[in-house]
Amino acid sequence: MALIERLQNRPDATYWPGKIPMTYIYTAGRAGEAFFKKLRDSGKFIGARCEDCDLTYFPPRIFCECCFNRIEGNWVNVKNRGVVHTLTICHETYDDKPKETPSIVAFIRFEDTDGGMFHRLGDVDYEDCYIGMPVEAVLKPKTQRKGGILDIKHFRPL
Amino acid sequence: MDKKVAIVGIGTTGFRATTPDVSYRELTYEAATKAYLDAGIEPQEVGAFVATSEDFLEGYSISDEYSPDQLGAVLKSIHTVPGDFIQGLGNGVMLIMSGYADIVVVQGMSKASNMVTKGDLLTFAADPFAWRPLQESPHAIAAMEMNRFLYESGNTIEQCAQVVVKNRRNALLNPRAALGAALELEDVLNADPVAEPLCRLDIAQHADGAVVCVLASQEKVGSLKGNPIWVRDVSWATETNALDSRTWGEAVYMQLAAEKAYRMAGIRTPAKEIDFAELNDEYSYKELQHIEALGLCAWGESGKLSEIGWSERTGEFPVNTAGGCLGCGHLFELDGGQKVLDAVLQLRGQAGELQLKTANTAVAAGWRGVPTTTGAVVVLGN
Repeated sequence: MALIERLQNRPDATYWPGKIPMTYIYTAGRAGEAFFKKLRDSGKFIGARCEDCDLTYFPPRIFCECCFNRIEGNWVNVKNRGVVHTLTICHETYDDKPKETPSIVAFIRFEDTDGGMFHRLGDVDYEDCYIGMPVEAVLKPKTQRKGGILDIKHFRPL
Repeated sequence: MDKKVAIVGIGTTGFRATTPDVSYRELTYEAATKAYLDAGIEPQEVGAFVATSEDFLEGYSISDEYSPDQLGAVLKSIHTVPGDFIQGLGNGVMLIMSGYADIVVVQGMSKASNMVTKGDLLTFAADPFAWRPLQESPHAIAAMEMNRFLYESGNTIEQCAQVVVKNRRNALLNPRAALGAALELEDVLNADPVAEPLCRLDIAQHADGAVVCVLASQEKVGSLKGNPIWVRDVSWATETNALDSRTWGEAVYMQLAAEKAYRMAGIRTPAKEIDFAELNDEYSYKELQHIEALGLCAWGESGKLSEIGWSERTGEFPVNTAGGCLGCGHLFELDGGQKVLDAVLQLRGQAGELQLKTANTAVAAGWRGVPTTTGAVVVLGN
């Protein structure tokens, strides 16, 4: 048997609206704590080094995804400099609404690391941005930093 | 594979932008009814069932508990794979190869039109520390991947637009497709930008639908009616969710999944031994990126080949003959289901106006969408 008769009039379609009212808190974990505290308190970046794989994770982690070794505490200082690995300009918000001011978003590879960061670019026009462009992070003043990714205002060309 | 498994039945609702007349469970019921009729079986004969779903896509917690009855699976073995339909298919194949069951049913469904706040859903798939606080569109991740892919491979935005034109035209001849359209290249290139270089028409629109597939062991195939399509092999792979350590230019996940599937299927030169591909094109560039990852042409060649009609239905290597995601609709975890469906119909010679002259071996490949790096590949033969 399949469906014998189907609804003919759309206004007859019955529906029930539903929301999923759930709230979470996500703990940053041991590497996240170290990273965000350093950023908040001293405005500096750290990564984590796996000597066996010759990889520098940025942001840091407590384990290497390649050899699975524990690398907690192998923190290394990372310079506030990177290059634009790839980029886009967003004309819509995350929920598909037009943006009044489009935002330039980039993935930035940090110097001397194998990682990087997803963030906005500022103090620049999209037309002037390119893959390979050197940039640096612009931080919020210390009093406004809370220990999160938004402690960085944006990245700007060097 | 030492034990052979065949697809002996397949059923679908087809794909539509909205389906207000049925519930999501009734979508599956309709596809299941057709699949069982196609295979000439009753659900009582099925040994085990595999459903593919995600709680947040369905809008239920523990949604797998809601999957048995619409498949005729009450009081039977069933498990849910929170992944692409082809990953579910792989689980079904394993159930048969392990001797657990002789007949296994695999289900996938999309009721995207039930989901009012799709942007919130995708944002909740983002890392809560590195990404979510920025509240940027999930399409930004795809756009950045597209930019890097074009930069590294030398393919162009125009060549991506050509994919949209082809797939939506193919969908015009597909009675199951939601989004058939006759577009010109300029229509695509001049569409509103969403996250550059992605414009509105580069992004597959959502659709509703269901696909149910019946698998059987070689021993069972003889006693069933119909036209078996053999699963020569199936594989899947995930790179990493981390934006800081993933590969931005190439679809490494799909390359790994394909290499493993080809190795087990004994395929050495995929472009010669395979006749056509149904693969994920949720964004236009994804078709080109996946063609290259599946080893169907050399790195950086897919765009030029698309321009000269290589991937058209009449071309040397047809890709997404029925319209793909761009033409049928973005179906979330059912992505691979649409790909398998259209591959099976071609291999059986039942693709109607879309039918290819030569269709003996196919590759179908699904991707789980942004922000995932999971691809699943199945090689099918008649």
